[in-house]
Amino acid sequence: MHVVKIKENPNVFITNNIYNYLDPEKIYIPIMQEALYKKNDYLYKDTKFLLYNTSISGYITGEKKVYYNKLLVPALEITNDFKENIKSKRRKKNITNKDELIQVLEEYNLIEVAQKIKDLNQIKNLIISSIDDEIYDAKEFIILANYDEEILETIEFLQKVLEVNKATIVTKNTNAKSIKNVKSIIGTYPNIKINLVSDNYLIGYPRFLCEYLNIKEEDTLLISTSLIYDIYQILKGKSILNNIITISGDNVEKSLIINTKLGVSLKELIAKFINIIDKDYEIYLNGYLKGIKIKKIEDIIITREINTIVINKKSKEVEEDCINCGACQRICPLNINVKYCYFHNLNSPKCISCGLCNYICPANLKLKETVKSDQNEKEKY
Amino acid sequence: MKKKNIKALVIQNLILLIPFILYGVFKNGYLIYERGLINFASIFKPLYLIIISIFIKCIIDLILYRKIKFDYNLLSLVLVAMIMPYNINLLVYTITLLFTYLISLFLNKKFKLNTVCFIYLITVLVNSLMYSFTYQNILESTFNYNFSYFDLLMGRNIGGIASTSIFFCLIIYIYLTNNIYYKKNIPLAINITYLFLALIFFLITKNNNYLLNSELLFGSIFISTLPLSSPYRRLSQIFYGIFIGLVAFIVAVCFNSTISIYIATMVASLFVNIPLYEIINNKKLKNLS
Repeated sequence: MHVVKIKENPNVFITNNIYNYLDPEKIYIPIMQEALYKKNDYLYKDTKFLLYNTSISGYITGEKKVYYNKLLVPALEITNDFKENIKSKRRKKNITNKDELIQVLEEYNLIEVAQKIKDLNQIKNLIISSIDDEIYDAKEFIILANYDEEILETIEFLQKVLEVNKATIVTKNTNAKSIKNVKSIIGTYPNIKINLVSDNYLIGYPRFLCEYLNIKEEDTLLISTSLIYDIYQILKGKSILNNIITISGDNVEKSLIINTKLGVSLKELIAKFINIIDKDYEIYLNGYLKGIKIKKIEDIIITREINTIVINKKSKEVEEDCINCGACQRICPLNINVKYCYFHNLNSPKCISCGLCNYICPANLKLKETVKSDQNEKEKY
Repeated sequence: MKKKNIKALVIQNLILLIPFILYGVFKNGYLIYERGLINFASIFKPLYLIIISIFIKCIIDLILYRKIKFDYNLLSLVLVAMIMPYNINLLVYTITLLFTYLISLFLNKKFKLNTVCFIYLITVLVNSLMYSFTYQNILESTFNYNFSYFDLLMGRNIGGIASTSIFFCLIIYIYLTNNIYYKKNIPLAINITYLFLALIFFLITKNNNYLLNSELLFGSIFISTLPLSSPYRRLSQIFYGIFIGLVAFIVAVCFNSTISIYIATMVASLFVNIPLYEIINNKKLKNLS
């Protein structure tokens, strides 16, 4: 069993519109080493930092510890002067071949996709995934629905640069708006197809998607629509200083997709846009199943790695003794012996942290946290 | 797919047992009452046994945990009541159930014993020591019947008080195979092994007594699959099932076919306590290092 149909809460409905939050009062830039800047220094918009560039212009007003990649790191606090001052404007990129594309992607910190292109000798399939695997997530679908022309234009450009004849947009058959929008203009792009897949969890996972589409993973370049939109912005000479995130869950009055500046405090963002129903709630970062539950939101900032915030009513379920049902192993898409790993405190390098074991466990055991690979801390299984 | 907690799983299983209980009341109550062999109150004997089981479970839970738990022990005790012979004495049943359940609670802290089989076998043993009883109800011991295979399929076999309907067993097994929490390979392996052996036995001896065993089907679907005392890996489930099928057939031929599945499951559940997977895996880890 690779893909699973997860029963979602029917009351959680995500709107098709993208809301903007482009004038935050403060943003935070994590600094992994000693800062070159000090308090009261002025920073222009798009000033280069290691993790991401400044998304606003303003003065450094202090330092604060924030979470980045699960680590508490120091960050500069920049107070917005609302002037959006840029020192030097970026120019439109004129990319003609694969090497130039890789260079530009690396320049914009899109290391992962640059490395993927580098590793592939010959790209036979270009797959653009507009699949939101997580429940209560709609980022990819909304981007495709709202920026359909931009996405198709960028795909055509990538086909030319990477010398790929055919490209396929893959989206879930439930994403009616994006399907309708893309189908209305796809006729002008004869080498781009649209492929609809069933609404199942994990269908967007590269390996399973390639299996589903009956193509080889080794000669396939799989890119998400959000990344395609980032590439579009790069080509147009814009910096990637925003991130589109979904905030949803069964404890919010209205689930939203928000285009926000990088470095914004999550607490500020929630206070500005979200009405929380019940005061007793829990927050999951990057999804209810794949993501992690966070204890407090004060130290969380919006980075490029954050896609979804799920705010759910606090679960009343308590951990019980394992009943040896084996559902965790049966549901695991990689057939890991989850129960054995859990009780022997072992982790598996095969684990993709999909969270299905946690989801299915009738005893509410926190299986994923033990099984997922963390080679530094635990014995390798 | 929707997540279920332990309470929901137990309730689901209890609901699935309702058709068996109703059929038990019909076969071991109404049909006998119709012939004037028992009084009206005795029609509901299967229900009395179940009520006693639930009552004992509640009392012990309240004493030990100060609250009533909806756990697999509740399901186990209901199953014990359903597989009891018709002639069981209610008082003896209550006392033996109380003590054997307490013993099983203590033993289960260290071993993964099949609670249902453990309680059932001891209760039957105690009862058979105190007085001679058969698995037949009054009707079956009074009259001679010539049932067709269809009658037997519907549940007219000799067996537990509410566990004889092969028809319901098959329907419910098909339903349960879609349940991720259910160990569907175990009943399949048990019944295939048993039927294969029974068929060979039939071809050799022309004895067809072992071909339709309703108790085996019921036991394999509900009792051998009880999660705590059965393996969860696919291959282990198949081996466990084959072992039970084999032992059950031997016991059925040599001793008693009604009780065979419970003896076999009890023996097999003892083997589940041997951590074979750990032994194999530890060897692998040692070899790697």
